[in-house]
Amino acid sequence: MRMMRFYSTACLLLFTSPGFADELELRGNVALQTELYTANSDHREAMQRSNASVSGEVEFYKGLGDGDRNIVVTPFLRIDQGDRERTHFDFREFLYQQNSDNWELRLGLGKVFWGVAESRNVVDIINQTDAVEGITTNEKLGQPMVHLTRLTEKGDFELFVMPGFRERTLTGSDGRPRPVLPFALGNATYEDSSEESHVDFALRYTNAIEEWDIGISVFQGTSRDPLFRFNQADLTLRPFYYQVQQFGLDLQATLESWLLKLELIQRNGDEIENHAEAVAGFEYSFYSVLETDTDIGIVAEYLYDEMGEDAYHPLQNDILVGIRFALNDEQSTDALIGVISDLDGGAQTFSIEANRRIGSEFKLTLDAVLWTNTSDDEQLDALRNEDYVSATVAWFF
Amino acid sequence: MISIADGKTIPTSHKLASMLLLSASTLVASTVAFAQTAEEKGLAIAVEMDQRNEGFVDTTSKMKMILRNRAGNESTRTMRSMVLEVNGDGDKSMTIFDEPADVKGTASLTFSHSTKPDEQWLYLPALKRVKRISSKNKSGPFMGSEFAFEDISSQEVDKYTYKFIGEDTFNGRDVFVVESYPAYKNSGYTRLVSMIDKEEYYPHRIEYYDRKGALLKILVQSDHQKYLDKYWRAGTMEMTNEQTGKSTTLSWDNYEFKTGLSKADFSSKALKRFR
Repeated sequence: MRMMRFYSTACLLLFTSPGFADELELRGNVALQTELYTANSDHREAMQRSNASVSGEVEFYKGLGDGDRNIVVTPFLRIDQGDRERTHFDFREFLYQQNSDNWELRLGLGKVFWGVAESRNVVDIINQTDAVEGITTNEKLGQPMVHLTRLTEKGDFELFVMPGFRERTLTGSDGRPRPVLPFALGNATYEDSSEESHVDFALRYTNAIEEWDIGISVFQGTSRDPLFRFNQADLTLRPFYYQVQQFGLDLQATLESWLLKLELIQRNGDEIENHAEAVAGFEYSFYSVLETDTDIGIVAEYLYDEMGEDAYHPLQNDILVGIRFALNDEQSTDALIGVISDLDGGAQTFSIEANRRIGSEFKLTLDAVLWTNTSDDEQLDALRNEDYVSATVAWFF
Repeated sequence: MISIADGKTIPTSHKLASMLLLSASTLVASTVAFAQTAEEKGLAIAVEMDQRNEGFVDTTSKMKMILRNRAGNESTRTMRSMVLEVNGDGDKSMTIFDEPADVKGTASLTFSHSTKPDEQWLYLPALKRVKRISSKNKSGPFMGSEFAFEDISSQEVDKYTYKFIGEDTFNGRDVFVVESYPAYKNSGYTRLVSMIDKEEYYPHRIEYYDRKGALLKILVQSDHQKYLDKYWRAGTMEMTNEQTGKSTTLSWDNYEFKTGLSKADFSSKALKRFR
């Protein structure tokens, strides 16, 4: 919170101080969201079968005169009816950016995406997950960084120095979905004695060669994924952040209707078993199906973790099969329906997301997730009564 | 879990700006005079159109699209475009969306090629994600409009075969009538019939015939202006779907030439930083 206050003050100073030639540019959205659960929670203190929240995100952008330097600040706020932990504020970005033909510098809180897959981006490690935002979303917290990019004819080389760690946001005891035991909030432990002040480093190389897009990365620092340790004193799950060295490769081949995708990592550390994880698959698209404007895509991905049943996540030997519809109409209607099946225990996660623009400034999003056959999967079984449908109406400006 | 948000299919404007090439098509009449068969004469027109547009180096412009359905309801898209001329290959282009608001900041980058498939990337600002996407979808609608991707892509001579049909007049201007037949895969058309200004050699009107050979759409281009004393660009393009009654008006504004764009401005990294 102290950091947040610092950035808020800095924000105010930056945008109100004279000497900036360019006008302030604004864009963002305000959204109302409601979730309906099909069953009562297993936990007495958890919220009941419906929940509502409101969120807002605004990007403030200001060029610094010469077109090569700018500042972008993107505060985000959600106020949640049922879960105090989901009521939260974050700066998604708070960046000073400077660009030239061969160099890019980004300084401050930033957001970076790595990866190509649909189901799980194993190589993506720079930003912490804003997990209270939901399990089907991919929201991230702003990461403090010095990010330097060297652009060359032979590809782009990036250096990240990350002074400061963000803890994963976690559902409160009154939130849904939540594990059997509540999370110990604000009580994380670390392998490294410098805890959240540990300075992390990463390097990345990317290039596009004909139909191939390739990314190679290495990360050294605090793992974004915590391990959860049972705390006997207060019967909670306490996040433990270990040090990890991660080597990553992401690859996509774009061959007419086929997108072939691979993400592969090797994770090493003193507190974990050294192991590999991977996601590999394809997306095949049928364009203008039956002489209509609709495109249909078939998505299939295999998810692997060398640790097998001991993996720290439930996607250790799973298959995603999905179908994507894009109507290509005036309202940009689209939908993705998918199922992830566990090849070991048989647990299945079904999900649907559909979007449609309403008028010119609003968008409606429907989400639904349900779990079946979870009894053989300890991690997913906690979610057996958490099936939900959510609707979001967002106003964009 | 399924991060569906990553996979949103946002219609892309890929080569929209390169439409400029089409509208600026010009022709040297003397070349046509020497041509013998109708095919040779048609090709000579296309070659000359292409040559007349050479040397523009780069352009930037603003675009506004008004989509109209049969009931007359309208919706608006606005975007900005940048095109970099590439000698000996298709052009590089970037399109940044301003409206509708939910796609504001979305940008697409296309390296077009005359023979091999185009290379194309899409930037999704909410996720900070650049996605490489397939360029196979030639006949699909651009942003829900009556313009297909292939209508607004970089026009290269090799993409079609040609046939000179005759001469006519359009709005009081003398025009050549030329048929062209897509030579690339996955086109939604069997043929295009173009009316090309006999004096200035830009198209006034194009008819598009669908895969069954039926008339699908008619494009009328107007408000032509000459830039740098050489390059003709249409200010207004009206595309009417003759089968559905829907139409789209595309108007162009703020044309600038030789703005000093470089190859570095057309990379997947640049895609992220353009506003």
